[in-house]
Amino acid sequence: MAADADFHRQALQHLDALYNFAVYLTRNPPEADDLVQETYLRAFRFSHRFQPGTHLRAWLFQILRNTFLTFYRLRERETAIAEDGVPDWDLPMFHDTSTDEGGALEAHTDLERAMRRLPEEFRTVLLLAEVEGLPLEEVARVMACPVGTVKSRIFRAKERLRALLKDYDKK
Amino acid sequence: MSEELRGPDDEALGRRLAAELPRYTAPARLRVSLVEATDRPRRPAWLVPLITAAGTALALGLFMLPYLPRIEPTDPMQQVVRAVVNEHSRVLMWDARQPKIIPGDLPWLSQETGIDLRRAFVGDDRLTFVSAEPVYLTRQRGLAVHYRDVDGHLVSYIMLPAERSFAMSERDRVAIDGRWRPMLKRDAGFVTWVWKQGDVACFLVSDMVSRDDLEKFKDYFVRVRVATEPTIAY
Repeated sequence: MAADADFHRQALQHLDALYNFAVYLTRNPPEADDLVQETYLRAFRFSHRFQPGTHLRAWLFQILRNTFLTFYRLRERETAIAEDGVPDWDLPMFHDTSTDEGGALEAHTDLERAMRRLPEEFRTVLLLAEVEGLPLEEVARVMACPVGTVKSRIFRAKERLRALLKDYDKK
Repeated sequence: MSEELRGPDDEALGRRLAAELPRYTAPARLRVSLVEATDRPRRPAWLVPLITAAGTALALGLFMLPYLPRIEPTDPMQQVVRAVVNEHSRVLMWDARQPKIIPGDLPWLSQETGIDLRRAFVGDDRLTFVSAEPVYLTRQRGLAVHYRDVDGHLVSYIMLPAERSFAMSERDRVAIDGRWRPMLKRDAGFVTWVWKQGDVACFLVSDMVSRDDLEKFKDYFVRVRVATEPTIAY
């Protein structure tokens, strides 16, 4: 029980980082709340699977992202079916997100606005590698892909980000 | 992908992201709710294995139930009464296997069962004769005669050779008409009159368990008892 309490205390130290990541993934603070709660619930339930000595923060990011992909993408897809009446199974994996904020969190800067328009895979690598400063190996673990793929995604994400920022400058 | 992809622009953009991208801090209520969730007493670690083990044992028990030894009554009288009741239940559901009529088939029945009927009750205004047949109960041959009363109750009169262990306990005896004192046994929702007539153990079984029905059942006992005289044939 003492080990559990210690694990809980350590995990909760990363709450702000996880919440920030969740906001950028969901673009909606209430949903970010739910996502973070679900992440911690899972982390506590499966704490025995965590290998001491490895990066706890990366493990928590991994749970959060997997939860997001499992539930939130599924829900987005269900919404699309309900609204259009036609299932949109052919959505590209790297599709750009809508420019319509739809009443969700308002972007304060061009940089934030541009980030939100990036596909999830690009947003995630930039947030983990550049904002949170995770080593590329840990980012690769979170995203369940090779380190080379992470580097490639960072490069392409920045290219896309630069293009978007250039568009905003012109406007 | 190699490091040469990270040009000066890339590094600057990375620094800009780290420095300028707004960071969102977790609301206090989220922190509080998570802390409360962790403080909540958790389910004991032994509970799940215990429930799983109990469930497995229950499932195994149910699976093995048909193969487990049955609890048989130790009282010889109760054993024979149960056998008689089982035979009555069988006839109630599927009728007699070798239905014979009396007195026409009495010689054959006597030969097959070893029980002779010097006099036999063949029915009256209340009880109608249905059939007679040989039976084999508690490793003994016997004779069963079935009647049906005007209300539709099946009444089985079963006769078996009385063994040495056949003992009438005083506790279960019921006085009828001040003349007879048969035992009244109850088993599996049936009532049975038990008495001994010479060397023959006699049983009259029915499902007439209610108080009113029991009074009628006493009357049936009298009717059968006075009109039937079983003996051991050989």
